[in-house]
Amino acid sequence: MLLNISNVQHFSLGDGPGIRTTIFFKGCPLRCPWCHNPETISPQPAQLFYKATGKREVRGMSVECEALLPELLADRDYFAESGGGVTLSGGEVMLQSEGAAQLASLLCREGISVYVDTAGYVPYANFERMNPYTDTYLYDFKTASETLMRTVIGGDLSRITDNLRRLLADGKSVRIRIPLIPGFNTDDESVDGICRALGGMGIGAVDLLPFHRLGSGKYEAMGLTYAYAATQPLRGEPLDALRRRFERDFTVRVEQ
Amino acid sequence: MKPSNALREDLREDLRHTPEGAYAPHYFKFIGLRQDPNAAPQRIRANMLYSLFSAPKPRILAHELITGNGHCLFVKEEEKQLKYAEHMVGMLGRRHFGTNNDHYAPDYRVILSKGVGGLIDDVDRSLERHAHDGKRVETLKDMRITLEGFTAMIAHYADAADALIGDPAYDGERLAFIRGNCRALLDGAPRHFAEALQLVWFCHTAFLMEGRYAMALARIDQYLWPFYKKDVEDGIITREFAVELLENVFIKLLGDVVNICVGGTAPDGSCAVNELSYCVVEAVKNCNIPGPNLSARIRSDTPDDFLIECLKSIGTGLGYPALMNDEVNIPGLSRYGYAREDVYNYSMVGCIENFITGKQPPWVDDRFNTPLFLDYVFNNGMSQSTASCGLALGEAESITTMEQFMKNFEAQLDWGVSEYCLRIHNRTDLLSQEAVNEPFLSCFCYDCIGRGMDINNGGALYPSVHGACAMGVGTVADSLAAVEKVVFIDHEATLAELRDALNANFEGYEELREKLLAAPKYGNGDDFVDKYAVWFLDYINACFSRHHTRDGGPYYVLMAANTANISAGQEVNATPDGRLRGESLSDAASPTHGRDHLGATVALRSVSKPDYTKSAGGTVVNQKFSPSAFQGDRLRALAALIRVYFKNGGQELQMNATSREVLVDAMDHPENYRDLVVRVSGFSAYYVTLGRDVQYDILSRSQQE
Repeated sequence: MLLNISNVQHFSLGDGPGIRTTIFFKGCPLRCPWCHNPETISPQPAQLFYKATGKREVRGMSVECEALLPELLADRDYFAESGGGVTLSGGEVMLQSEGAAQLASLLCREGISVYVDTAGYVPYANFERMNPYTDTYLYDFKTASETLMRTVIGGDLSRITDNLRRLLADGKSVRIRIPLIPGFNTDDESVDGICRALGGMGIGAVDLLPFHRLGSGKYEAMGLTYAYAATQPLRGEPLDALRRRFERDFTVRVEQ
Repeated sequence: MKPSNALREDLREDLRHTPEGAYAPHYFKFIGLRQDPNAAPQRIRANMLYSLFSAPKPRILAHELITGNGHCLFVKEEEKQLKYAEHMVGMLGRRHFGTNNDHYAPDYRVILSKGVGGLIDDVDRSLERHAHDGKRVETLKDMRITLEGFTAMIAHYADAADALIGDPAYDGERLAFIRGNCRALLDGAPRHFAEALQLVWFCHTAFLMEGRYAMALARIDQYLWPFYKKDVEDGIITREFAVELLENVFIKLLGDVVNICVGGTAPDGSCAVNELSYCVVEAVKNCNIPGPNLSARIRSDTPDDFLIECLKSIGTGLGYPALMNDEVNIPGLSRYGYAREDVYNYSMVGCIENFITGKQPPWVDDRFNTPLFLDYVFNNGMSQSTASCGLALGEAESITTMEQFMKNFEAQLDWGVSEYCLRIHNRTDLLSQEAVNEPFLSCFCYDCIGRGMDINNGGALYPSVHGACAMGVGTVADSLAAVEKVVFIDHEATLAELRDALNANFEGYEELREKLLAAPKYGNGDDFVDKYAVWFLDYINACFSRHHTRDGGPYYVLMAANTANISAGQEVNATPDGRLRGESLSDAASPTHGRDHLGATVALRSVSKPDYTKSAGGTVVNQKFSPSAFQGDRLRALAALIRVYFKNGGQELQMNATSREVLVDAMDHPENYRDLVVRVSGFSAYYVTLGRDVQYDILSRSQQE
């Protein structure tokens, strides 16, 4: 089965435990304006041209699952020694759940752990396809506000929360990841909302992903304007305050 | 005595304030030179060392606990007088790096077990044994003279500490500590950790006074371990104080290249890591200066937490320790017939060079510019970029297959290796091994005292080795792969066209260059090119193994050369990998900079393919990591990376956390950092493509960590 992917990144340390190889899938149903992987949003190949170095890149290729496998298996010693594996990320992996499930099943057969990084905005049927082969979902939870989800991100919150509930009900391992975006979800009201929503579902631990603007170079390379170009990264005391707030309800890890 | 963290920094400040006058070791040597103008040259050298050690007035620094430094060699004298002394001493000639002078690792266990007096007793016993052999008697007397000078130096330090007690600029307790340690060393073998460390430091200081550099401290966690263990058990020192004493020594190494080895294999073959190994890593980390060049010998059963401590030190931006794979180095060194316990006890000198501790003459190496020989294949033995020439085996037109190309290249290399060895032999032969003796250093090399022979003239148990640094594995592998792909598989150009393109430095051949650049590159897990890296080491080692140093020792191959890949590259014509004339060669054993773009796991998978037991001298593989890779539980992942790399046969890893300095430099010189990648969760980006404000974000991120 063909997969539409952006690129494969070996030696990823931030996308789940241990040493992982991350596959970035193409295509996303959401439009988060702070997105740091803009080249993965469209299913079409993205052309990047970096003025500073003269480097050109095309991000987008169709590849058969079987063809991808040898490159993923080549790092299996590293996975085994570190407790790592493969992470499917994006873009939105779950848009390509058939292909992703096939790939994940091949990896499972080889005894390799599969993590899936998702924002959850797909029919649950897609999850049902992935569930048998997924070790853990890294599940984005960006806001508890239906309005913000609809107007800023372009999604339907109820589908995201329903999917999360069903994953938990189905006994899947889920790690909640909350991107902390200044001006979007870092005010008291937003944070309280997120904590209430997650707490209500029995979530005990969350990963916080503080905003950074390192994606700005990619926007420029694609000839796009980055809405968050002038937003300062979140760190120091404001980040500590947020961490403390989340720690009232959850075990917290800050991912850098 | 209570530990004080500030002492290290205060001492560093003390060291900055050098005494008035000029640094003039020759002034003190000259005193000995004049003593007996009619003595044999070997005796004159011994006399010079006697005066060098015994004549200077020690200068104890206010914040020292372990005393001894080069400040004693400053003199206030007439410039003419000093110049004259320098001229007279210089006329006598001396050894240099190329003639077995420095880069030496003493086996400090010997002197620690018996003290200086014990060493002198050994000389006297040997004198009795060799009483009938005039030459040996004189050699032993030369050694004895230098040991007497060394003893006088220790006595002077004891007296100087004593005389300073009461001086308001000094701490009396510290002076008493120094005086006590020095006096103990005059009485016999050291009994305590501080005494042992003081003795080692006096030896090292004496080597520096002699004019040597890159003298290794070798396996300090092993030879000091019995002292540390006993003192801690007896409640004489705390771990904290031991670390402070070590720092006191390490902070003085600034500006030198002093290899310090920790971990590795014990005499019984087990893992040698002990509590003191951790202390040494901590002390080096605390000092945070270049100079103490820490090497950690790692085995598959080295404790995880020790590896993690090493990684924490590396992650500060210090980059030390370099990680060495015992399970490659031990089989590698075992090829040369050394006794097993001597192989187990190997350490490193200089940057990474493997050395049989205390049992062979000082290390020598030179650069073997491998990519230069590609030029000869293309141009019938004539270099296009230097005045050198190789074998005339025919024009490029006559080479029609990859096999023929390789045969030609192999012939050029084989010839080049014999020329190289000839050059090394010539250099050795210029010097009289007999006349240019090293009486003091010989006392630290087994079995010079027993044999009554000089370290460079038959005294050392094992003969001298020469390290040939085979340059540019990445450049060569990439070039061969490009020739095979572009010329012999894809037929995009003939070999003659490629020659013309190389000789034109690709001017007018830009399209061909693009194709060459697009060929598979070393460091991306691709056997098509990686096979040439495997061949590189196999073949070059086979060539060198047909040669011997003048005293019958082996030529080791190394894949390490500091920054010589830059200067060596300046001599080399454009190469088929797309590299332009004069550009740097690939560095050490690493893939060509920036061409291993798939990540550390893949790069190390390629790099672990060559059989590094054939590089007994050592290799350097440089890999850069984001500072965030050294944070929290990611350290465990890094440790796993090293475990797998070493299990697969990697020999060495020099890890660097991309430091603040690099990030700042990259802002100003983006052209040098085109491939610098920054990574965070689910994301990576080229650093130099980011705006300045965003680069500052990363900068402050690295500062936080």
